[in-house]
Amino acid sequence: MTGSCVGAVVPLLASAGDGVSVAHYLVVGAILFTAGIVCMAVKRNALGVLMGIELVLNGANVNFVAFASPYLRGQGAASLGLDGQVIALFVILLAAAEAAVALAITLNFYNNHATVDVDRADDLKG
Amino acid sequence: MDAAASITQPALWPLTAIVFLPALVAAFLSLPIVPKAREEFIRWTTLFTTAVVFVLSLWMAWPQLFGAAGPAQFRLGDTGMQAVVKLPWIRAFGIEYLLGVDGISLPLVVLTTFLSMLAAAASWPITKHVKAYHVLFLLLETGMLGVFVSLDFFLFYVFWEVMLLPMYFLIGIWGGPRREYAAIKFFLYTLLGSVLMLLAILMLYFTSDLRQLSPEQLLASHVVSPALDAGAQADAVRAVRDAKAPVHTFNLLALAQIGQLPNSPFAATQIWGMSLEKWAFLLLLIGFVIKVPVVPVHTWLPDAHVEAPTPISMILAGVLLKLGGYGILRICYPICPGAGLDLAWLVCGLGVVSMVYGAFAALAQKDFKRMVAYSSVSHMGYVMLGLGVWSAVAGHDYRWDAWAQGVNGAMFQMLAHGISSAGMFFMVGVLYDRVHHRNLEEFGGIFNRMPVYSGLAIAVFFAGLGLPGLCGFIGEVLVTLSSWNYSRALAVVSAFTVILTAAYILWAIQRVYLGAEYKGPHGDHLTAITPRELAIATPLVFFAILFGVAPQILFNYVAPSVNRQVETLADWTRRVHDAKPASVAAIGEQGPGQDVAAR
Amino acid sequence: MDIAAQLPLLLGLAWLVPLASFVAILFFGPRMGPHGRNAAWVATAAIVTSLVLSLLAAGTWLGAHPVQAAHHGGSHGSDHSAEAAGPVAYAGDWYTLYQGGGLRLSIGWYIDALTVAMFVVVTFIATCIHVYASGYMHDELHDVTDHEVHLSGGGHLHRPGRFPRFFQALSLFCFSMLGIVIAGNLAMVFVFWELVGICSWFLIGFYYERTSASTAANKAFIVNRVGDFGMLIGLMALWGALGTLQFADSKAAGPDGAQVVRPGLFGLVRPAEGGHALQVPDGMVKFAAADLVATTPAAEVAAKIDDWRSMGLGRWLLFIAGVGIFCGCVGKSAQFPLFVWLPDAMEGPTPVSALVHSATMVAAGVYLVGRFYPVLTPDVLLVIAYVGAITLFIAATIALVANDIKRVLAYSTVSQLGYMMLALGVGGWAAGLFHLVTHAFFKSLLFLCSGSVIHACHTNDMRKMGGLARVMPWTAGTMLVGCLAIIGAGVPFVIGLSGYYSKDAILAQALSFSRANPAHSILFLAVAGGAFLTAFYMFRLWFMTFAGEPRDHHVADHAHESPGVMVAPLVVLAVLAVAAGWTLPGGFGLPNLLEQARPAGTAEGMTGGFVFGNLTFPAEHESHEGAIHVTATLTAFATALAGVVLAALMYLVRIISPAVVATIFRPVYSFLAGRWYFDELYHALFVLPALGIAELASGTDRGVIDRIIEGLAWTARQLAGIDAWIDRTIVDGLVNATANATWHAGLELKKLQTGHLRQYVMFIVVGTVALFVLASLLFRTSMAG
Repeated sequence: MTGSCVGAVVPLLASAGDGVSVAHYLVVGAILFTAGIVCMAVKRNALGVLMGIELVLNGANVNFVAFASPYLRGQGAASLGLDGQVIALFVILLAAAEAAVALAITLNFYNNHATVDVDRADDLKG
Repeated sequence: MDAAASITQPALWPLTAIVFLPALVAAFLSLPIVPKAREEFIRWTTLFTTAVVFVLSLWMAWPQLFGAAGPAQFRLGDTGMQAVVKLPWIRAFGIEYLLGVDGISLPLVVLTTFLSMLAAAASWPITKHVKAYHVLFLLLETGMLGVFVSLDFFLFYVFWEVMLLPMYFLIGIWGGPRREYAAIKFFLYTLLGSVLMLLAILMLYFTSDLRQLSPEQLLASHVVSPALDAGAQADAVRAVRDAKAPVHTFNLLALAQIGQLPNSPFAATQIWGMSLEKWAFLLLLIGFVIKVPVVPVHTWLPDAHVEAPTPISMILAGVLLKLGGYGILRICYPICPGAGLDLAWLVCGLGVVSMVYGAFAALAQKDFKRMVAYSSVSHMGYVMLGLGVWSAVAGHDYRWDAWAQGVNGAMFQMLAHGISSAGMFFMVGVLYDRVHHRNLEEFGGIFNRMPVYSGLAIAVFFAGLGLPGLCGFIGEVLVTLSSWNYSRALAVVSAFTVILTAAYILWAIQRVYLGAEYKGPHGDHLTAITPRELAIATPLVFFAILFGVAPQILFNYVAPSVNRQVETLADWTRRVHDAKPASVAAIGEQGPGQDVAAR
Repeated sequence: MDIAAQLPLLLGLAWLVPLASFVAILFFGPRMGPHGRNAAWVATAAIVTSLVLSLLAAGTWLGAHPVQAAHHGGSHGSDHSAEAAGPVAYAGDWYTLYQGGGLRLSIGWYIDALTVAMFVVVTFIATCIHVYASGYMHDELHDVTDHEVHLSGGGHLHRPGRFPRFFQALSLFCFSMLGIVIAGNLAMVFVFWELVGICSWFLIGFYYERTSASTAANKAFIVNRVGDFGMLIGLMALWGALGTLQFADSKAAGPDGAQVVRPGLFGLVRPAEGGHALQVPDGMVKFAAADLVATTPAAEVAAKIDDWRSMGLGRWLLFIAGVGIFCGCVGKSAQFPLFVWLPDAMEGPTPVSALVHSATMVAAGVYLVGRFYPVLTPDVLLVIAYVGAITLFIAATIALVANDIKRVLAYSTVSQLGYMMLALGVGGWAAGLFHLVTHAFFKSLLFLCSGSVIHACHTNDMRKMGGLARVMPWTAGTMLVGCLAIIGAGVPFVIGLSGYYSKDAILAQALSFSRANPAHSILFLAVAGGAFLTAFYMFRLWFMTFAGEPRDHHVADHAHESPGVMVAPLVVLAVLAVAAGWTLPGGFGLPNLLEQARPAGTAEGMTGGFVFGNLTFPAEHESHEGAIHVTATLTAFATALAGVVLAALMYLVRIISPAVVATIFRPVYSFLAGRWYFDELYHALFVLPALGIAELASGTDRGVIDRIIEGLAWTARQLAGIDAWIDRTIVDGLVNATANATWHAGLELKKLQTGHLRQYVMFIVVGTVALFVLASLLFRTSMAG
């Protein structure tokens, strides 16, 4: 999976040519996203999963900011205004709220089960 | 008689009121504002309603009693339809709200209202679901009256069914121990008849074509109301006669006119090798004879009677059985005269078989009410025989009086049986209310215990026996005498029935009323007849005597219309039937009629 | 007022007064004095009024048509205009029951000398019986203990008396009988015929608590109805072919308002233009020739009727009509084979028996044959004669051995009625009716005497009586008169009791007939033998009852003469039993009065017949003359004397022991004592089969028709079951299968829902990637495409 991502990124880097371009940011974001996904998938600790979520969100944020930056965009492209940044800020806010709720759930879960192992949390099973 | 002259105007109210007043009151009684617990109120309301309807019908039938005659009242001697109501109902099929009475139906209407009143009074001992009972009872009255006054075949059928349902519930809910069996049996038998009738109705409807009728016939049959002014009449006639497609009709009078045409479409149409006329006649006949009832479709009657409560038995025997005879007279013969002539042997044969079979079966019964029920089968056989000899007209001189005598006798027998059988069932009911059994072997000595009641009961049973001076005699004698000209064998068998009738009635009287002592249970409940019961029994006995002594009272109403119809059909036989040379020889075997010509 | 209006008024009133009495007693009977005692006065007053009116009518009649010495072979009376047309008769209608087209049934009158005579006789005897009954029935004035009714709890029935009810029925009975007598047409006869039947039912069943009484009443009515069955056929044959039941011609307004004469039965069968000779009426010819009529042009029918008549068409119809009407008479007049009801009718109170057996009911049959005589063909008459002969013989033999005093009289009535029928049947119209009248007097006398005896002895059994003449001289004397009258005692050729004349007339006519028809001479033997038997059993009765020593002292000590109110009618009737047959100088007497009513065309005798060969009916006046009369009178005298002497030998001087005779002729005796076993025979032949058929019919209803209906219902239910099964398994099955499949699919899919968060993440990832790959592949393909 990671490989395929890398495979997709390489042409972008190659097309960047000189200096730091959007492609580099996208690579960083992709790495962050992938790392977050992997973290969510492999960590059994709920806190680890939460961290993975943060990574995923921030990976996305990097992309937003990068696309929104007038400096990183090519000549002649229409300005997006502050849309990217605003959305990034939304995401941060949302992440904070989400983290709060998730931590509360985790805490409750711990209170009930004396563990934060997400594999033990199979109450949603159909 | 000029038919057009006997119409006055569309007189909506007398007949409509007579027919629908009971239904209206039934609707009122069924409202929740009438509390179930007020049983006395419900009973009195019902009795009052039936009394009002009776007075209304009497007002129509006997104008002299109420002073000057209004235009909607019955004029004695007119042969045509009177007090006709004509309103469109379902225009797409030409179905009309068409009511009217003539000398055949009016006495039956009065009989119905009279017996309904008595039966309402006889309903006092009903204590179960009083409200529902009376609602159904009133609906039943509407249905019965509607059948007698409908001149539209579809309307007739609707009323026929309206009558059937309340009857089913009245037997099925308020009946004796085997009430459900009896009710279902009654319902299935009658429903079978209704279905066949519906088939015949549709057959006739889709074959009929009003364009074949002359303007005079259209007027006479009320297809075009004679009450319209001349211009409107001409327009209406033209509208019918110039129509592009066939104009079908449910109008009974028009169907009769069409059926008696020389080129009757009913006779011309063939279905599976038989004329449509014959099919329709047979189907209608089956429907009607189930109601009459004749052997072998009579077995619903004993069960229904035995299980039904007393007032319902009175209505059942007094009125419902008459519907069959009325239908044959009003519908079968005028509309399908050819089939009527060809199948007269069937009608007469069924009648005679019923007379003898019913009498024998009555002789064997141990149940008092069942015995009376079988006596009804036997007595209604006379009606069938009287209606059947109808075709004795055939012959070279087309005299109609012997034939008319049979039909008049049959009509009289229907009315007389309405009185006597209702009376007999009531008399059985009086005993049953006291001792709760009907076993003929367990009575005896009632005469000494209840002398007034027994005197009245014996009078009523003698009316059933056909004793002169009581109403049963006239009809039986007229029918029997008229049957000789049709068939000697049937006449002899029908005369033979008088022995059996005497046997079963006298034997029953002996076992129930005579003897030294009462042999059954609840002997101490044999109390004298109550004033209410006396008030019901006395009119019945009174009329049984009155009609036996003065039969002209009824013949004044019945005979003109019957004679007119018979005369018309006699004329039809000569004009249409015998115009076909092939049929002359076949009819020649029958009697040449009377030799009473003035010399 | 002329006589034609006066007679119907007088006799009509005489007829209706008893009806008024009936209605009055019906409604107010129990309130008429203590225990309804005055009901007897009401009824008696009514019948006396009738009697007075009848006598007035008779006076009117005699004033207009004085009775003269008979000139035989011609017409009588002073009505010269009527002489050629036959007897004087007045006819008309009061009331129409039904009219339709040319057909009409009505209530009307036909009054001739016979009607008037019968009115006087019926009302007179009824008056005597009313007076007698007001004494006889006094038991009913207080509570009655009926010793013949045993209750289930032991003891006898104790009931209130019903004095008024008896007189109520008696009044109705008189009304009905007078209705038959005055009737102007056969329909009216039939109406009152039935009413008489039902009155007899009431009276025979008066003690209705006794099963035997109510059974006897039913038997009487039903047996009579068997006769009426035949009568109805006769009525139909006449009505169907002739369209009228009127006796006499009547005038009616024709269609154009003109007066039209509509011929009555008599005029049709014996048309005046044919000299009143019997012929098959046109209507019957046409009826029988229907086939020919249908193929003949309408205009030629009238011309051909005489041809058809000579071919014999229609004569069977006339025969059937005659025999049919006679069947009714067989029932009412208790002729063989329908006589079985009459002896049982003894269950009624004795006054009723007297009335039934003399002037009413049984007289009705003979009267009707006499009235209907013009229409009867030779063949019918022969049937009547033979029925009469058989009846008189059978009944007389049974009377020989009966021990019940009333039964002896009952069988003697049957036997005497046989005489009358035989007389009518051999052409003795006047003889038969004359005997009817004289018999009415002495038979009512005999019955009332027997009632007096029973009243005194409280038993009907003659074996317990004997020697009663000493305690009941009046009863014994009057009864002796009755016995002498019934056997026809008299001094030959000089004078005799009433029966002497009437019986002689019958014997003479029978002899005359036998001479003319040697093949049928057995009829004369029957009459002569019957006379012997009559004399024997009547005097057996008298000797056993009144002569000798008392056999049962318990009975004899108890016996007493009856009160005056009962004896007076006996004396009056005894006088009439003696004198009723006398003809006064100048010709005034019953036979000549009856001659006035002789049906047209019957005076000359008659020949004809097709069923039983050619028959000759000698004219009645021939039998009154010469050798025949002498032979007949001597025969009657000899046979009667022989009978009395034999009875005296056996029961008075006891030279011959009845017991020994009975032992010698054991089989015959028991056969007679068993009354020829007619009751048993009829029970086996008719009653049981009828009940069997009744059971069969009832069983067919339940066992066959209902089974078929229920079978149909069962079949329908089975079919419905199959239909329901199809619904349940196939239609519902498909629907349920779909639901099941969905359900199970869901269950399977649910397993994917593991609840493991990490797996979900993996699913998301893998799904996303897969979608990407798929989308990119598709996208690429479509781009390429």
